[in-house]
Amino acid sequence: MDLIQNNAPIFINGLLETFQLSAVTLFFAIVLSLFFGVLSVTRYRIFKIISICYVELFRDIPLLVNVFFVYFGAPLIGIPLEPFAAATISLSLWGGANGAEIVRSGFNSVSNHQKASAKALGLKPWEIFWYVIGPQALLPMIPPFTGLFSLLIQATALCSMVGEMEFFRMAQIVVERTTINTGYSPAFLVYGFVLIVYFVICASLAALTKRLERWLSERQDRRGAGLPAVERLAQESV
Amino acid sequence: MGYNFQTSYILDNADALLRGLLMTAQVSGISIGLAALIGIVCASIKIFNVPVLSKIVGGYVYFIRSTPLLPQIFFIFYGLPSLGLGFSIYWSGVLALSLWGGAYNTENVRGGFLAISKGLKEASSALGFKPIHYLCFVAIPLGVRVSVPSMLNTSVSVLKNSAYLSTIGFAELTFVAMERVAQEFRTLEMFAAICALYLTLVLALSALVRVIERHLERPFKET
Repeated sequence: MDLIQNNAPIFINGLLETFQLSAVTLFFAIVLSLFFGVLSVTRYRIFKIISICYVELFRDIPLLVNVFFVYFGAPLIGIPLEPFAAATISLSLWGGANGAEIVRSGFNSVSNHQKASAKALGLKPWEIFWYVIGPQALLPMIPPFTGLFSLLIQATALCSMVGEMEFFRMAQIVVERTTINTGYSPAFLVYGFVLIVYFVICASLAALTKRLERWLSERQDRRGAGLPAVERLAQESV
Repeated sequence: MGYNFQTSYILDNADALLRGLLMTAQVSGISIGLAALIGIVCASIKIFNVPVLSKIVGGYVYFIRSTPLLPQIFFIFYGLPSLGLGFSIYWSGVLALSLWGGAYNTENVRGGFLAISKGLKEASSALGFKPIHYLCFVAIPLGVRVSVPSMLNTSVSVLKNSAYLSTIGFAELTFVAMERVAQEFRTLEMFAAICALYLTLVLALSALVRVIERHLERPFKET
């Protein structure tokens, strides 16, 4: 325990960096996922194909390879990147691919007659999108995006491999330094501590997600829309 | 900007890449099998509410799912030896991946078990089946069948996550590529090659998932 207390400033700095990195990444991931998610629900086939290619490419390649590719590949085409920038780019691309799926299913969750009614009322396509479908699709996306935020926090641990000074990298440094200084490896203690910290962060995010989900379904109930489709299905099958 | 992409470089290193690919396939194959086993056993424990064990399983699943894999691997490889539980690189990798996949598979299989209707359980206890018989002859054949698609998705993730093992020096595909890059600096070629290989593996596995899904649905189509 002494070891962790003595190195507390290092750990806190690392944790701040982790939060910073994941927040910046979340922002860009949301932008990317909205863009590609909306592309995938348009009528045009070519946009759909582009969106599917993007999603499949970044979801199917291991994230570690993605991070290495960006960090080591960028200098070769003339843009040397800081670890932070490389981490942001690769994690955002990955998060965007996962988020695009969330956005797509959010739009698909809006029932079709909403669109039909809006059309019958004589709204223009962009008005249908902006005033009718968009607002309804946006709310169900919130809980999955908090889940994605938790995944992104977990994924930032990878960026220690390209020298980004985040929480896990700091832990590695503490382990290495203590091993050199004392000849005794505190890996068990320090990595155990790291796991517990990540656990606390992600478990609280998961609890938040659960509350958001409950709030959303209650809101839906109050509005007289009945149960969300998934629960309705579950009840039917019993 | 003047990067000279040499396709022949990839072909020259096909041997090394193939060796890495085999290691990746081997370690993910073993881990996928073990993860499926862990998933079925843990889900059975959870579904029968075995007093202490089901709490332990719940904690294990929750813990693994809310922590990143990389610190888990480091914990197992660098941390456990101080408890006297030293594993070689290979078995640390297998252990980490199986525990990770097992946690996700537990949830997958539990979902499958929950999908079995209550009537079957009552019927089997009316027929005098012991819980273990119900598990072996009713729950596993039916429940695992339902959860196979999600288990295969977890398996695809295990395959992708085997890349993380390169960080502890496991000589799989990513490690081989990184080693070559460190020696010869043909970064783009190497990464293009391993991206293509991973894509092939993952897409092949996902295609398999779809085939199996269709195969599993077949008996239920008539009704």
